[in-house]
Amino acid sequence: MTAVTSPRLLSAEMPSGRTTGWWGMILFVTTEATVFAAMLGSYFYVRFQSGPQWPPPPLEDPKLMKVIIMTAVLLPSSVPVMWAERGIRKGQRWRLRAGLAITLVLGLSFLGLQAWEYSEDLKKHTLTTDAYSSLFYSITTLHGFHVAVGLLMVGWLLAASLRGSFGYRRHERVRLTAIYWHFVDVVWVAIFISLYLSPRL
Amino acid sequence: MSVETEEQARPASRSEAVAALEKDWGERPSLRSWFSTVDHKRIGRRYMVTAGIFFILAGTDAMILRTQLARPNATVLSPEAYDQLFTMHGTAMIFLFSTPMFFGFGNFLVPLMIGARDMAFPRLNAFGYWVFAFAGTVMFSSQLVGRAPDGGWFGYVPLTDTPYSSGINLDVYSLGLLFLGVSTTAGAINFIVTVVKMRAPGMSLNRVPLFVWAIVGTSFMVIFALPALNVANAMLFLDRRFGAHFFDPAHGGNTLLWQHLFWIFGHPDVYIIVMPALGIVSAVLPAFCRRGVVAYPLMVLAIVTISIISFGVWVHHMFATGLPQLSYSFFSAASTLITIPSGIQIFAWLFTMLRGRIVVRTPFLFVVGFIVTFVLGGFTGVMFAITAFDQQVTDSYFVVAHFHYVLFGGAVFPMIAGIYYWLPKFTGKMYAEKLSRWAFWLVFIGFNTTFMPMHVSGLLGMPRRIYTYPGDLGWDLWNLISTIGAYVLAVGLLLVLIGVLQAIRRGRLAPDDPWGGDTLEWATTSPPRPYNFVTVPTVHSVHPMWDERTTAALATDPPLPDHQAMATSELDGREEGAIEMPEASLLPLVSALGILVVVLGLLWGWYWFAGAGALLIFGTVARWMWPPERTPEEAGVAS
Amino acid sequence: MPTQTRRAGGFLLWFAVLGGALAWALHLVLAWGVDELTCRSGNTSVGGIPIRGIVGAGVVVPALITLAALLLAWRGWRRATAARDDDDDPRMERTGMMLLIGMCANALFLSIIAAGGAAVLVLSPCQ
Repeated sequence: MTAVTSPRLLSAEMPSGRTTGWWGMILFVTTEATVFAAMLGSYFYVRFQSGPQWPPPPLEDPKLMKVIIMTAVLLPSSVPVMWAERGIRKGQRWRLRAGLAITLVLGLSFLGLQAWEYSEDLKKHTLTTDAYSSLFYSITTLHGFHVAVGLLMVGWLLAASLRGSFGYRRHERVRLTAIYWHFVDVVWVAIFISLYLSPRL
Repeated sequence: MSVETEEQARPASRSEAVAALEKDWGERPSLRSWFSTVDHKRIGRRYMVTAGIFFILAGTDAMILRTQLARPNATVLSPEAYDQLFTMHGTAMIFLFSTPMFFGFGNFLVPLMIGARDMAFPRLNAFGYWVFAFAGTVMFSSQLVGRAPDGGWFGYVPLTDTPYSSGINLDVYSLGLLFLGVSTTAGAINFIVTVVKMRAPGMSLNRVPLFVWAIVGTSFMVIFALPALNVANAMLFLDRRFGAHFFDPAHGGNTLLWQHLFWIFGHPDVYIIVMPALGIVSAVLPAFCRRGVVAYPLMVLAIVTISIISFGVWVHHMFATGLPQLSYSFFSAASTLITIPSGIQIFAWLFTMLRGRIVVRTPFLFVVGFIVTFVLGGFTGVMFAITAFDQQVTDSYFVVAHFHYVLFGGAVFPMIAGIYYWLPKFTGKMYAEKLSRWAFWLVFIGFNTTFMPMHVSGLLGMPRRIYTYPGDLGWDLWNLISTIGAYVLAVGLLLVLIGVLQAIRRGRLAPDDPWGGDTLEWATTSPPRPYNFVTVPTVHSVHPMWDERTTAALATDPPLPDHQAMATSELDGREEGAIEMPEASLLPLVSALGILVVVLGLLWGWYWFAGAGALLIFGTVARWMWPPERTPEEAGVAS
Repeated sequence: MPTQTRRAGGFLLWFAVLGGALAWALHLVLAWGVDELTCRSGNTSVGGIPIRGIVGAGVVVPALITLAALLLAWRGWRRATAARDDDDDPRMERTGMMLLIGMCANALFLSIIAAGGAAVLVLSPCQ
């Protein structure tokens, strides 16, 4: 108790030294995360108040195969962003460009896979089939939209980096885009667990 | 920047420095600069004027409603028109008037109070204003064509869902509020970042003015509460327009889902509305009691805990919906104990008056009027935390009386106090004391005459939202008194408006610090120059203007040159360096127009039009964020 | 101060300030969420454990977390106040105020959790 309540320890200033842009992006991501929390909360609320079977018959549990591939594509896409960010902090523009390009490819393949999955899902049910379908499509589409926005940001950053705006002194926009991209990734994990894995439990 | 250029930029004398700042920050008056300005003071004033216009419109709605209810079986309004009027009155007062008005106060005052030169994101600030103005215009326009929302301000499903509500009315509601939500969220983020990063050196967390704390608390509630409303409204729109089934029990949906989402937002929203008002009270009192508000840490405690607990009481709006008793009790506990922090604030103000030397001026009178009405409203509020009582009076005029005491008493009285108090800073002119006293007494008497009788008519069983009533239920007299009171109140509010306009046109020129206030906005000229402060103030206590160390340093410290503001550390307010501030730009206006196009496209079902708007937004934002071209040396490239 | 110690200190401070609030949020989600959702679906137990047990745990565990934060804030506040210099020392004053606020807030949250939790003893879960 004596050690942990030492005034010197407790008066350490944390957080400190962040930029206004960092705070802005963190707060934006926080409020966005709350949007997804409200959507997923609604999903579970409707789920626990409906009958014993979920998804409601005649619908079956969502197929996992493609979604696992989608996850395997999207989750690692955070790595090249981190690698690119570390690179530009050292002033290595080639790492920034290469990392962003890899992320762009991975993100686009995710969206492509999602379109493919939709094309099969839509044969079974649509937004207007029932409340489950409404939740399923609105949550996944909202996330897909966020991936698309993230890709626009990454693509825009790539364009700017090809022109040569960033270096070890100036790279804040890289950092902010990275935060957003990691957020889009983490949200996908929550969606994957809630929408695809939890009905099987 | 190298040492050499810094030397060149440093002017020889203070007057030269001021001249350079005028050149860097000044905006030549032109049509373009009117649309492109990013000055937080101009934007703040615009927020207040626009919200004031919406207040007049929504207030006129209320006057028509009261005219209809003055006598039984009246036929001033059809039931349909009545529905639209009460819905627009509530929706506009909550969303288009209170919060934007306080955001206007915050916009103008927060940077001044913390000794900053502007908000952290000035362009985002301008963007937020335009979005708010467009959203409000869209929603009020629907009233002109008789298609205004008509499902009550909390829009309960299934009444507001298909097939029970056809037409475009509720689409205006859901899309309008989503549109407005963009502005509110942007504003909230901007406030938090500004306060976290741009306080004057030395302003550690224990020296932040209470009004600023209140705005930050409010902004955090917006960040966490607004998404629930946005999600609910998006679902409602999908249900209505595209045949989704979120709220449709026939297809596995759930009507209570709307109520949960709405009140997860709605209860914090009560505090989102009232908390900045409480902040105004804490800012106004010291000047008229000649001492600081007592128990500063407890006041901060109250703001912080209210911001948090307000999220855990939402179920008390649904005590009449048949949830398990045990689950009520968790919310009853929070609903009852949230009165402790509110009580702390009231007692702190009373002790401040008791221990101070009171100077009675109009802002002080409105603060006293606030305390009386707000305590009465809080008193009836405590009664609702008792589930059994709540079930008796739910949806009666008793509730209408209660929330008008809380919201009008809690928000509008402090707001008017704030308008009189800061009018010298907003406009550079003083108001006329005599006229403002008349305004106070008419508002105070008119308010109580309007809403006190509603407690009685509510207990006599009169339900809210009925467009008329038969004459033999004992409600006639109480309704007539309410209507007479409403007209008195309207005259009082008109006198406030006349007082402000008169001050702007013919008022006496205001000195920099007419009240001997304690916070940093009084260190600037009235009205402040575009750069606010020549020298960045240093803060040594919670009342910097009553502290000789700060006032002395303001006159002698070197000016902060160029189009720059100071960044300081998050908790302790240590100096971290200067940041370059963005210039005026038309991009915020254009991107707000882009959102307007999207909203109108969705509203009218012209989806190609909405798509064009999305492209416009993308193009503008991409241009907005595009980094400047930099030489490899400037950006820093490894060899 | 090394970064690691600084991080630990910052974490402890924020736990002392916001621990009660977070524990209360946990309490609401657990106790209310489990109670309402299970009763709605017509069950009285989840995975063999009766609801009252789960709801009770949803009261006791958050209460203990809040108590820990309260004690930490109280001790830290007393020591920070004692360590304060007379001259202009924003850092220690700021720490002291944050801990004082945390102490009061934790006490408030503890009483909310206790007041709501008392109902578990009186009411049957799905009444």
